[in-house]
Amino acid sequence: MIEPFTVPFMARALAEIALLALICGPVSVFVLVRGLAFVSDALTHTVFPGVVIGFLAGGLDGLFLGALVAGVVTAVALTVLTRAGGLSDDAATAVVLTAMFSIGVVLVSRRSSYTSDLTSFLFGRLLTVTPRQLAETAVLAVVILVALLIGARAMLFRAFDPVGATAAGFRIGRLDLWLNLLVALVVVAAVRAVGTILVVALLIVPAAAARLVTGRLAGMAALGTVLTVVAGYAGLLASWHASVRYGTALTPASAVVLLLVLAYLALLPVRLRRSGRRAGAPPTTERNSAHELVG
Amino acid sequence: MGDAALRYAGVSVGYHGRPVLTHVDLELRAGQRLALVGPNGAGKSTLIRSVLGLAQVLDGAVTVLGRSPAAARGLAGYVPQNDVPDAGFPVSARQVVLMGRYRRIGWWRPTRPADRRAVAEALDRVGLADRAGHRFGTLSGGQRQRVLLARAIVAEPRLLLLDEPFNGVDAVSQEAIVRVLRDLTGAGTALVLSTHDLTVARELADLVCLLNGRQWAVGPPAETLTAEPLRRAYGGQAIDGPGGRLVLIEP
Repeated sequence: MIEPFTVPFMARALAEIALLALICGPVSVFVLVRGLAFVSDALTHTVFPGVVIGFLAGGLDGLFLGALVAGVVTAVALTVLTRAGGLSDDAATAVVLTAMFSIGVVLVSRRSSYTSDLTSFLFGRLLTVTPRQLAETAVLAVVILVALLIGARAMLFRAFDPVGATAAGFRIGRLDLWLNLLVALVVVAAVRAVGTILVVALLIVPAAAARLVTGRLAGMAALGTVLTVVAGYAGLLASWHASVRYGTALTPASAVVLLLVLAYLALLPVRLRRSGRRAGAPPTTERNSAHELVG
Repeated sequence: MGDAALRYAGVSVGYHGRPVLTHVDLELRAGQRLALVGPNGAGKSTLIRSVLGLAQVLDGAVTVLGRSPAAARGLAGYVPQNDVPDAGFPVSARQVVLMGRYRRIGWWRPTRPADRRAVAEALDRVGLADRAGHRFGTLSGGQRQRVLLARAIVAEPRLLLLDEPFNGVDAVSQEAIVRVLRDLTGAGTALVLSTHDLTVARELADLVCLLNGRQWAVGPPAETLTAEPLRRAYGGQAIDGPGGRLVLIEP
Protein backbone atom coordinates (compact mmCIF):
# COMPACT_ATOMS: atom_id res chain seq x y z
CA MET A 1 0.00 0.00 0.00
CA ILE A 2 2.92 2.31 0.78
CA GLU A 3 5.57 0.71 -1.40
CA PRO A 4 4.65 2.29 -4.76
CA PHE A 5 5.05 5.71 -3.15
CA THR A 6 8.71 5.07 -2.34
CA VAL A 7 9.31 5.63 -6.05
CA PRO A 8 10.06 9.38 -6.37
CA PHE A 9 7.64 10.19 -9.20
CA MET A 10 4.80 8.48 -7.33
CA ALA A 11 5.65 10.36 -4.13
CA ARG A 12 5.64 13.65 -6.04
CA ALA A 13 2.31 12.82 -7.65
CA LEU A 14 0.80 12.11 -4.25
CA ALA A 15 2.26 15.31 -2.80
CA GLU A 16 0.81 17.29 -5.73
CA ILE A 17 -2.62 15.78 -5.22
CA ALA A 18 -2.43 16.47 -1.48
CA LEU A 19 -1.59 20.13 -2.12
CA LEU A 20 -4.44 20.41 -4.60
CA ALA A 21 -6.77 18.75 -2.10
CA LEU A 22 -5.78 21.33 0.50
CA ILE A 23 -7.01 24.18 -1.71
CA CYS A 24 -9.85 22.40 -3.48
CA GLY A 25 -11.61 21.40 -0.24
CA PRO A 26 -12.20 25.00 0.94
CA VAL A 27 -12.54 26.60 -2.50
CA SER A 28 -15.10 24.02 -3.62
CA VAL A 29 -17.25 24.97 -0.62
CA PHE A 30 -17.50 28.52 -1.96
CA VAL A 31 -18.08 27.28 -5.50
CA LEU A 32 -20.99 25.27 -4.07
CA VAL A 33 -22.61 27.97 -1.93
CA ARG A 34 -22.24 30.59 -4.68
CA GLY A 35 -23.61 28.19 -7.29
CA LEU A 36 -20.53 28.69 -9.45
CA ALA A 37 -20.27 25.15 -10.84
CA PHE A 38 -20.88 26.32 -14.40
CA VAL A 39 -18.59 29.34 -14.05
CA SER A 40 -15.86 27.01 -12.77
CA ASP A 41 -16.41 24.75 -15.75
CA ALA A 42 -16.09 27.77 -18.01
CA LEU A 43 -12.88 28.85 -16.32
CA THR A 44 -11.31 25.44 -16.82
CA HIS A 45 -12.15 25.60 -20.52
CA THR A 46 -11.05 29.18 -21.04
CA VAL A 47 -7.66 28.47 -19.48
CA PHE A 48 -7.14 25.89 -22.24
CA PRO A 49 -6.07 28.30 -25.05
CA GLY A 50 -3.73 30.02 -22.57
CA VAL A 51 -2.15 26.68 -21.80
CA VAL A 52 -1.71 25.92 -25.49
CA ILE A 53 -0.27 29.35 -26.35
CA GLY A 54 2.05 29.15 -23.36
CA PHE A 55 3.23 25.71 -24.43
CA LEU A 56 3.78 26.75 -28.04
CA ALA A 57 5.75 29.80 -26.93
CA GLY A 58 7.81 28.43 -24.10
CA GLY A 59 7.34 24.69 -23.74
CA LEU A 60 6.37 23.24 -20.38
CA ASP A 61 7.54 26.35 -18.51
CA GLY A 62 5.43 28.63 -20.69
CA LEU A 63 2.41 26.48 -19.97
CA PHE A 64 2.16 27.76 -16.42
CA LEU A 65 2.43 31.42 -17.40
CA GLY A 66 -0.05 30.96 -20.24
CA ALA A 67 -2.56 29.37 -17.88
CA LEU A 68 -2.07 32.16 -15.34
CA VAL A 69 -2.66 34.95 -17.87
CA ALA A 70 -5.66 33.22 -19.43
CA GLY A 71 -7.11 32.43 -16.00
CA VAL A 72 -6.88 36.02 -14.75
CA VAL A 73 -8.22 37.50 -17.99
CA THR A 74 -11.23 35.18 -18.10
CA ALA A 75 -11.97 35.64 -14.39
CA VAL A 76 -12.24 39.37 -15.03
CA ALA A 77 -14.19 38.89 -18.26
CA LEU A 78 -16.66 36.50 -16.65
CA THR A 79 -17.21 38.83 -13.69
CA VAL A 80 -17.89 41.77 -15.99
CA LEU A 81 -20.08 39.77 -18.39
CA THR A 82 -22.24 38.20 -15.70
CA ARG A 83 -22.70 41.51 -13.87
CA ALA A 84 -23.08 44.10 -16.59
CA GLY A 85 -24.06 42.06 -19.63
CA GLY A 86 -27.58 42.03 -20.98
CA LEU A 87 -27.11 38.29 -21.41
CA SER A 88 -28.17 35.92 -18.67
CA ASP A 89 -25.34 34.50 -16.57
CA ASP A 90 -25.46 31.12 -18.23
CA ALA A 91 -25.57 32.43 -21.78
CA ALA A 92 -22.65 34.82 -21.24
CA THR A 93 -20.63 32.09 -19.59
CA ALA A 94 -21.38 29.60 -22.35
CA VAL A 95 -20.35 32.10 -25.04
CA VAL A 96 -16.98 32.70 -23.39
CA LEU A 97 -16.47 28.99 -22.69
CA THR A 98 -17.06 27.71 -26.20
CA ALA A 99 -15.22 30.55 -27.92
CA MET A 100 -12.06 30.16 -25.85
CA PHE A 101 -12.09 26.38 -25.98
CA SER A 102 -12.36 26.29 -29.75
CA ILE A 103 -9.47 28.76 -30.04
CA GLY A 104 -7.43 26.32 -27.98
CA VAL A 105 -8.37 23.38 -30.19
CA VAL A 106 -7.55 25.34 -33.36
CA LEU A 107 -4.12 26.19 -31.97
CA VAL A 108 -3.40 22.64 -30.88
CA SER A 109 -4.50 21.17 -34.20
CA ARG A 110 -1.73 23.12 -35.96
CA ARG A 111 0.86 21.01 -34.17
CA SER A 112 2.16 17.78 -35.61
CA SER A 113 1.96 15.91 -32.30
CA TYR A 114 -1.68 16.92 -32.04
CA THR A 115 -3.09 13.89 -30.21
CA SER A 116 -0.54 13.49 -27.45
CA ASP A 117 -0.42 17.23 -26.79
CA LEU A 118 -4.17 17.50 -26.62
CA THR A 119 -4.40 14.55 -24.26
CA SER A 120 -1.86 16.01 -21.87
CA PHE A 121 -3.57 19.43 -21.85
CA LEU A 122 -6.99 17.96 -21.30
CA PHE A 123 -6.12 15.21 -18.83
CA GLY A 124 -2.82 16.34 -17.34
CA ARG A 125 0.36 14.45 -16.51
CA LEU A 126 0.22 13.61 -12.87
CA LEU A 127 3.16 11.19 -12.99
CA THR A 128 5.63 13.66 -14.49
CA VAL A 129 5.23 16.33 -11.81
CA THR A 130 8.64 17.90 -11.23
CA PRO A 131 9.99 19.22 -7.90
CA ARG A 132 9.77 22.73 -9.35
CA GLN A 133 6.16 22.20 -10.31
CA LEU A 134 5.48 21.01 -6.76
CA ALA A 135 7.05 24.16 -5.37
CA GLU A 136 4.92 26.33 -7.68
CA THR A 137 1.78 24.52 -6.60
CA ALA A 138 2.76 25.02 -2.95
CA VAL A 139 3.24 28.77 -3.45
CA LEU A 140 -0.09 29.04 -5.25
CA ALA A 141 -1.75 27.01 -2.49
CA VAL A 142 -0.53 29.46 0.14
CA VAL A 143 -1.66 32.47 -1.93
CA ILE A 144 -5.08 30.94 -2.56
CA LEU A 145 -5.68 29.90 1.04
CA VAL A 146 -4.61 33.26 2.48
CA ALA A 147 -6.78 35.17 -0.02
CA LEU A 148 -9.69 32.84 0.71
CA LEU A 149 -9.28 33.26 4.46
CA ILE A 150 -9.32 37.05 4.20
CA GLY A 151 -12.38 37.16 1.97
CA ALA A 152 -14.23 34.16 3.41
CA ARG A 153 -16.59 36.03 5.71
CA ALA A 154 -17.59 38.64 3.17
CA MET A 155 -17.98 36.04 0.43
CA LEU A 156 -20.14 33.93 2.71
CA PHE A 157 -22.38 36.92 3.47
CA ARG A 158 -22.58 37.75 -0.23
CA ALA A 159 -23.49 34.17 -1.12
CA PHE A 160 -26.17 33.97 1.57
CA ASP A 161 -27.84 37.33 1.07
CA PRO A 162 -26.46 39.65 -1.64
CA VAL A 163 -28.79 42.55 -0.83
CA GLY A 164 -28.05 42.26 2.88
CA ALA A 165 -24.32 42.21 2.17
CA THR A 166 -24.61 45.31 -0.03
CA ALA A 167 -26.65 47.04 2.66
CA ALA A 168 -23.92 46.20 5.15
CA GLY A 169 -21.44 48.02 2.91
CA PHE A 170 -19.75 45.18 1.03
CA ARG A 171 -18.87 45.67 -2.66
CA ILE A 172 -20.48 42.70 -4.35
CA GLY A 173 -18.66 43.17 -7.66
CA ARG A 174 -15.26 43.05 -6.02
CA LEU A 175 -16.16 39.99 -3.97
CA ASP A 176 -17.33 38.18 -7.12
CA LEU A 177 -14.11 39.06 -8.91
CA TRP A 178 -12.14 37.91 -5.87
CA LEU A 179 -13.76 34.46 -5.89
CA ASN A 180 -13.54 34.09 -9.68
CA LEU A 181 -9.82 34.90 -9.49
CA LEU A 182 -9.37 32.30 -6.76
CA VAL A 183 -11.12 29.68 -8.87
CA ALA A 184 -8.90 30.68 -11.81
CA LEU A 185 -5.80 30.28 -9.64
CA VAL A 186 -6.92 26.81 -8.56
CA VAL A 187 -7.32 25.88 -12.22
CA VAL A 188 -3.83 27.23 -12.92
CA ALA A 189 -2.38 25.29 -10.01
CA ALA A 190 -4.03 22.04 -11.05
CA VAL A 191 -3.98 22.22 -14.83
CA ARG A 192 -0.59 20.59 -15.45
CA ALA A 193 -1.26 17.69 -13.12
CA VAL A 194 -4.89 16.87 -13.85
CA GLY A 195 -5.64 18.80 -17.05
CA THR A 196 -8.26 21.37 -17.96
CA ILE A 197 -11.16 18.94 -18.14
CA LEU A 198 -10.68 17.04 -14.90
CA VAL A 199 -9.82 20.03 -12.72
CA VAL A 200 -13.48 21.00 -12.70
CA ALA A 201 -14.18 17.80 -10.79
CA LEU A 202 -11.79 18.95 -8.05
CA LEU A 203 -13.66 22.26 -7.84
CA ILE A 204 -17.10 20.76 -7.49
CA VAL A 205 -17.10 17.20 -6.20
CA PRO A 206 -15.25 17.59 -2.83
CA ALA A 207 -17.79 20.01 -1.34
CA ALA A 208 -20.73 18.37 -3.09
CA ALA A 209 -19.78 15.02 -1.55
CA ALA A 210 -19.02 16.49 1.89
CA ARG A 211 -22.33 18.35 1.79
CA LEU A 212 -24.11 15.00 1.83
CA VAL A 213 -22.66 14.27 5.26
CA THR A 214 -22.39 17.62 7.02
CA GLY A 215 -24.18 20.97 6.95
CA ARG A 216 -21.27 22.84 8.52
CA LEU A 217 -19.06 24.91 6.24
CA ALA A 218 -15.78 24.19 8.05
CA GLY A 219 -16.69 20.51 8.18
CA MET A 220 -17.41 20.52 4.47
CA ALA A 221 -14.04 22.10 3.67
CA ALA A 222 -12.17 19.61 5.87
CA LEU A 223 -14.06 16.56 4.66
CA GLY A 224 -13.74 17.68 1.04
CA THR A 225 -9.97 17.84 1.49
CA VAL A 226 -9.79 14.43 3.16
CA LEU A 227 -11.93 12.84 0.45
CA THR A 228 -9.70 14.29 -2.27
CA VAL A 229 -6.53 13.05 -0.56
CA VAL A 230 -7.99 9.57 -0.14
CA ALA A 231 -9.20 9.51 -3.74
CA GLY A 232 -5.76 10.75 -4.83
CA TYR A 233 -3.95 8.04 -2.90
CA ALA A 234 -6.29 5.27 -4.04
CA GLY A 235 -6.34 6.52 -7.64
CA LEU A 236 -2.57 6.58 -7.89
CA LEU A 237 -2.36 3.15 -6.30
CA ALA A 238 -4.92 1.76 -8.73
CA SER A 239 -3.13 3.22 -11.71
CA TRP A 240 0.21 1.86 -10.46
CA HIS A 241 -1.10 -1.66 -10.04
CA ALA A 242 -2.99 -1.55 -13.31
CA SER A 243 0.23 -0.69 -15.08
CA VAL A 244 2.77 -2.80 -13.13
CA ARG A 245 0.69 -5.93 -12.56
CA TYR A 246 -1.69 -6.01 -15.49
CA GLY A 247 0.10 -3.92 -18.05
CA THR A 248 -2.92 -1.73 -18.75
CA ALA A 249 -2.68 2.03 -18.89
CA LEU A 250 -4.95 3.84 -16.44
CA THR A 251 -4.56 7.62 -16.50
CA PRO A 252 -3.95 8.43 -12.83
CA ALA A 253 -5.83 11.73 -12.91
CA SER A 254 -8.95 10.09 -14.30
CA ALA A 255 -8.65 7.33 -11.70
CA VAL A 256 -8.52 10.00 -8.99
CA VAL A 257 -11.57 11.78 -10.34
CA LEU A 258 -13.48 8.52 -10.78
CA LEU A 259 -12.83 7.61 -7.16
CA LEU A 260 -13.89 11.07 -6.03
CA VAL A 261 -17.15 10.68 -7.89
CA LEU A 262 -17.53 7.19 -6.41
CA ALA A 263 -17.14 8.74 -2.94
CA TYR A 264 -19.96 11.13 -3.82
CA LEU A 265 -22.18 8.27 -4.93
CA ALA A 266 -21.28 6.24 -1.83
CA LEU A 267 -22.30 9.16 0.40
CA LEU A 268 -25.62 9.76 -1.36
CA PRO A 269 -27.50 7.19 0.78
CA VAL A 270 -26.34 9.04 3.91
CA ARG A 271 -28.12 12.13 2.68
CA LEU A 272 -31.21 10.24 1.63
CA ARG A 273 -31.45 8.58 5.04
CA ARG A 274 -31.06 11.94 6.79
CA SER A 275 -33.70 13.66 4.71
CA GLY A 276 -35.94 10.61 5.23
CA ARG A 277 -35.66 11.08 8.97
CA ARG A 278 -36.57 14.71 8.59
CA ALA A 279 -39.62 13.95 6.50
CA GLY A 280 -41.92 14.83 9.40
CA ALA A 281 -40.36 18.25 9.83
CA PRO A 282 -42.00 21.32 8.27
CA PRO A 283 -41.02 21.74 4.63
CA THR A 284 -38.48 24.43 3.88
CA THR A 285 -39.39 26.98 1.28
CA GLU A 286 -37.53 26.76 -1.97
CA ARG A 287 -35.55 29.70 -3.16
CA ASN A 288 -37.72 31.88 -5.36
CA SER A 289 -36.60 34.45 -7.87
CA ALA A 290 -33.58 36.41 -6.68
CA HIS A 291 -35.36 39.42 -5.33
CA GLU A 292 -38.53 41.29 -5.86
CA LEU A 293 -37.82 44.57 -7.52
CA VAL A 294 -41.17 46.20 -7.04
CA GLY A 295 -43.63 45.76 -4.24
CA MET B 1 -33.25 70.02 11.36
CA GLY B 2 -29.93 68.30 10.94
CA ASP B 3 -30.64 65.19 12.98
CA ALA B 4 -33.19 63.57 10.68
CA ALA B 5 -32.53 59.86 10.24
CA LEU B 6 -34.21 59.98 6.86
CA ARG B 7 -35.30 62.84 4.63
CA TYR B 8 -36.95 62.62 1.21
CA ALA B 9 -37.70 65.87 -0.60
CA GLY B 10 -39.69 65.63 -3.85
CA VAL B 11 -38.21 62.24 -4.66
CA SER B 12 -38.87 59.83 -7.52
CA VAL B 13 -37.21 56.42 -7.35
CA GLY B 14 -37.06 53.54 -9.82
CA TYR B 15 -34.87 51.26 -11.87
CA HIS B 16 -33.09 51.72 -15.22
CA GLY B 17 -34.40 55.28 -15.49
CA ARG B 18 -38.05 54.26 -15.12
CA PRO B 19 -39.83 55.61 -12.03
CA VAL B 20 -41.63 53.14 -9.76
CA LEU B 21 -42.57 55.60 -7.05
CA THR B 22 -42.92 59.39 -7.25
CA HIS B 23 -43.73 62.42 -5.08
CA VAL B 24 -42.08 61.09 -1.93
CA ASP B 25 -41.76 63.75 0.77
CA LEU B 26 -41.09 62.59 4.28
CA GLU B 27 -38.90 63.05 7.28
CA LEU B 28 -38.10 60.53 9.98
CA ARG B 29 -36.37 61.42 13.23
CA ALA B 30 -34.41 59.26 15.65
CA GLY B 31 -36.65 56.94 17.66
CA GLN B 32 -39.61 57.25 15.26
CA ARG B 33 -41.37 54.32 13.60
CA LEU B 34 -42.47 54.75 9.99
CA ALA B 35 -44.76 52.25 8.30
CA LEU B 36 -44.87 52.11 4.50
CA VAL B 37 -48.38 50.99 3.60
CA GLY B 38 -49.77 50.12 0.20
CA PRO B 39 -50.94 47.24 -1.99
CA ASN B 40 -48.58 44.76 -3.66
CA GLY B 41 -46.46 46.51 -6.27
CA ALA B 42 -47.00 49.92 -4.63
CA GLY B 43 -43.26 50.61 -4.43
CA LYS B 44 -42.69 49.83 -0.74
CA SER B 45 -39.65 47.63 -1.35
CA THR B 46 -38.33 50.10 -3.89
CA LEU B 47 -38.49 52.89 -1.32
CA ILE B 48 -36.58 50.74 1.18
CA ARG B 49 -34.03 49.84 -1.48
CA SER B 50 -33.58 53.50 -2.32
CA VAL B 51 -32.61 54.14 1.30
CA LEU B 52 -29.85 51.56 0.83
CA GLY B 53 -28.78 53.10 -2.47
CA LEU B 54 -30.00 50.03 -4.38
CA ALA B 55 -32.71 51.82 -6.34
CA GLN B 56 -32.13 54.88 -8.50
CA VAL B 57 -33.09 58.30 -7.20
CA LEU B 58 -34.43 59.90 -10.39
CA ASP B 59 -35.52 63.19 -8.93
CA GLY B 60 -35.35 65.13 -5.67
CA ALA B 61 -32.98 64.74 -2.72
CA VAL B 62 -32.50 61.80 -0.35
CA THR B 63 -30.57 62.11 2.89
CA VAL B 64 -29.88 59.04 5.05
CA LEU B 65 -28.35 59.76 8.45
CA GLY B 66 -27.07 63.06 7.13
CA ARG B 67 -25.41 61.69 3.97
CA SER B 68 -26.17 60.16 0.57
CA PRO B 69 -27.71 56.66 0.54
CA ALA B 70 -24.58 55.03 -0.86
CA ALA B 71 -22.39 56.71 1.76
CA ALA B 72 -24.76 55.61 4.52
CA ARG B 73 -24.44 51.91 3.65
CA GLY B 74 -23.30 49.96 6.65
CA LEU B 75 -24.88 52.50 9.01
CA ALA B 76 -28.44 51.47 8.25
CA GLY B 77 -29.55 47.97 9.23
CA TYR B 78 -31.60 45.93 6.78
CA VAL B 79 -33.89 42.97 7.42
CA PRO B 80 -34.92 41.28 4.16
CA GLN B 81 -38.13 39.31 3.71
CA ASN B 82 -37.52 35.93 5.28
CA ASP B 83 -38.10 34.08 2.04
CA VAL B 84 -35.19 35.77 0.32
CA PRO B 85 -32.11 33.89 1.57
CA ASP B 86 -31.68 30.33 0.33
CA ALA B 87 -33.27 27.92 2.82
CA GLY B 88 -30.81 25.15 1.98
CA PHE B 89 -27.78 27.30 2.69
CA PRO B 90 -25.40 25.51 5.09
CA VAL B 91 -25.21 28.09 7.89
CA SER B 92 -26.44 28.02 11.47
CA ALA B 93 -28.63 30.73 13.01
CA ARG B 94 -25.57 31.87 14.97
CA GLN B 95 -23.49 32.24 11.79
CA VAL B 96 -26.23 34.30 10.15
CA VAL B 97 -26.38 36.69 13.12
CA LEU B 98 -22.59 36.96 13.16
CA MET B 99 -22.76 38.30 9.58
CA GLY B 100 -24.11 41.50 11.12
CA ARG B 101 -20.73 41.96 12.79
CA TYR B 102 -18.54 41.23 9.77
CA ARG B 103 -17.96 44.87 8.88
CA ARG B 104 -16.96 45.63 12.42
CA ILE B 105 -14.67 42.62 12.70
CA GLY B 106 -12.84 43.60 9.52
CA TRP B 107 -11.05 41.51 6.91
CA TRP B 108 -8.04 40.29 8.84
CA ARG B 109 -9.08 39.83 12.42
CA PRO B 110 -10.64 36.68 13.83
CA THR B 111 -13.99 36.82 15.62
CA ARG B 112 -13.55 38.26 19.12
CA PRO B 113 -15.33 37.23 22.33
CA ALA B 114 -17.20 40.57 22.27
CA ASP B 115 -18.65 39.64 18.86
CA ARG B 116 -19.73 36.22 20.08
CA ARG B 117 -21.33 37.82 23.14
CA ALA B 118 -23.21 40.33 21.00
CA VAL B 119 -24.50 37.47 18.81
CA ALA B 120 -25.64 35.46 21.84
CA GLU B 121 -27.37 38.51 23.32
CA ALA B 122 -29.14 39.35 20.05
CA LEU B 123 -30.40 35.78 19.68
CA ASP B 124 -31.59 35.88 23.26
CA ARG B 125 -33.36 39.17 22.62
CA VAL B 126 -35.39 37.69 19.78
CA GLY B 127 -36.09 34.61 21.91
CA LEU B 128 -34.00 32.14 19.93
CA ALA B 129 -31.06 31.51 22.25
CA ASP B 130 -31.87 27.79 22.17
CA ARG B 131 -31.80 27.67 18.36
CA ALA B 132 -28.33 29.18 17.86
CA GLY B 133 -26.84 25.98 16.49
CA HIS B 134 -29.76 25.05 14.25
CA ARG B 135 -29.39 25.37 10.52
CA PHE B 136 -31.07 28.56 9.31
CA GLY B 137 -33.07 26.74 6.65
CA THR B 138 -34.64 24.33 9.14
CA LEU B 139 -36.21 27.15 11.19
CA SER B 140 -39.80 28.28 10.66
CA GLY B 141 -40.54 31.44 8.67
CA GLY B 142 -41.08 33.45 11.85
CA GLN B 143 -37.90 32.15 13.42
CA ARG B 144 -35.92 32.94 10.28
CA GLN B 145 -37.30 36.47 10.37
CA ARG B 146 -36.22 36.80 13.99
CA VAL B 147 -32.71 35.57 13.15
CA LEU B 148 -32.48 38.17 10.37
CA LEU B 149 -33.65 40.81 12.84
CA ALA B 150 -30.95 39.69 15.29
CA ARG B 151 -28.40 40.01 12.47
CA ALA B 152 -29.45 43.62 11.99
CA ILE B 153 -29.39 44.36 15.74
CA VAL B 154 -25.79 43.21 16.31
CA ALA B 155 -24.59 45.93 13.94
CA GLU B 156 -26.23 48.51 16.26
CA PRO B 157 -27.75 50.56 13.43
CA ARG B 158 -29.18 54.06 13.94
CA LEU B 159 -31.71 53.37 11.21
CA LEU B 160 -33.36 49.99 10.74
CA LEU B 161 -35.24 48.97 7.58
CA LEU B 162 -37.56 45.96 7.51
CA ASP B 163 -39.20 44.64 4.35
CA GLU B 164 -42.57 43.02 5.20
CA PRO B 165 -41.29 41.67 8.53
CA PHE B 166 -44.61 40.03 9.41
CA ASN B 167 -45.19 38.14 6.16
CA GLY B 168 -45.72 34.44 6.86
CA VAL B 169 -44.79 34.96 10.48
CA ASP B 170 -46.49 33.14 13.38
CA ALA B 171 -48.06 35.01 16.31
CA VAL B 172 -45.24 34.22 18.73
CA SER B 173 -42.62 35.53 16.34
CA GLN B 174 -44.67 38.63 15.52
CA GLU B 175 -44.99 39.43 19.20
CA ALA B 176 -41.25 38.93 19.74
CA ILE B 177 -40.40 41.12 16.74
CA VAL B 178 -42.76 43.92 17.81
CA ARG B 179 -41.29 43.89 21.33
CA VAL B 180 -37.73 44.17 20.02
CA LEU B 181 -38.70 46.94 17.60
CA ARG B 182 -40.30 48.96 20.41
CA ASP B 183 -37.16 48.50 22.54
CA LEU B 184 -34.94 49.66 19.71
CA THR B 185 -36.91 52.80 18.95
CA GLY B 186 -37.10 53.51 22.68
CA ALA B 187 -33.30 53.59 22.61
CA GLY B 188 -33.26 56.04 19.69
CA THR B 189 -33.14 53.86 16.58
CA ALA B 190 -35.26 55.13 13.71
CA LEU B 191 -37.40 52.47 12.08
CA VAL B 192 -38.86 51.96 8.62
CA LEU B 193 -41.01 48.93 7.90
CA SER B 194 -43.14 48.02 4.93
CA THR B 195 -46.42 46.22 5.46
CA HIS B 196 -49.78 45.72 3.85
CA ASP B 197 -51.29 44.95 7.25
CA LEU B 198 -53.14 48.07 8.40
CA THR B 199 -53.60 46.73 11.93
CA VAL B 200 -49.86 46.36 12.39
CA ALA B 201 -49.27 49.83 10.99
CA ARG B 202 -51.90 51.34 13.25
CA GLU B 203 -50.50 49.70 16.40
CA LEU B 204 -46.82 50.07 15.76
CA ALA B 205 -46.17 53.19 13.72
CA ASP B 206 -45.80 56.84 14.71
CA LEU B 207 -45.89 57.77 11.05
CA VAL B 208 -47.60 56.11 8.13
CA CYS B 209 -46.72 56.69 4.51
CA LEU B 210 -49.43 55.61 2.07
CA LEU B 211 -47.95 54.50 -1.23
CA ASN B 212 -49.22 53.29 -4.56
CA GLY B 213 -47.02 54.37 -7.45
CA ARG B 214 -46.68 57.68 -5.65
CA GLN B 215 -46.93 58.93 -2.11
CA TRP B 216 -50.58 59.61 -1.33
CA ALA B 217 -50.35 60.65 2.31
CA VAL B 218 -47.93 60.82 5.19
CA GLY B 219 -48.66 61.46 8.85
CA PRO B 220 -49.79 59.82 12.09
CA PRO B 221 -51.95 56.67 11.69
CA ALA B 222 -55.02 58.52 12.98
CA GLU B 223 -54.83 60.88 10.00
CA THR B 224 -53.59 58.57 7.26
CA LEU B 225 -55.31 55.25 7.92
CA THR B 226 -58.74 56.72 7.46
CA ALA B 227 -61.26 56.18 4.68
CA GLU B 228 -60.46 59.15 2.46
CA PRO B 229 -56.64 58.79 2.15
CA LEU B 230 -56.95 55.01 1.86
CA ARG B 231 -59.52 55.35 -0.90
CA ARG B 232 -57.17 57.64 -2.79
CA ALA B 233 -54.15 55.37 -2.36
CA TYR B 234 -55.88 52.08 -3.11
CA GLY B 235 -58.12 53.42 -5.88
CA GLY B 236 -60.36 50.68 -7.24
CA GLN B 237 -59.04 48.25 -4.69
CA ALA B 238 -60.93 50.08 -1.93
CA ILE B 239 -64.63 49.38 -1.83
CA ASP B 240 -67.33 50.30 0.65
CA GLY B 241 -68.30 47.30 2.72
CA PRO B 242 -71.32 46.72 4.94
CA GLY B 243 -71.80 49.11 7.83
CA GLY B 244 -69.87 51.93 6.17
CA ARG B 245 -66.56 50.08 6.55
CA LEU B 246 -63.87 50.41 3.94
CA VAL B 247 -62.68 47.08 2.54
CA LEU B 248 -59.30 46.81 0.81
CA ILE B 249 -58.97 44.11 -1.79
CA GLU B 250 -55.55 42.59 -2.46
CA PRO B 251 -55.40 41.13 -5.95
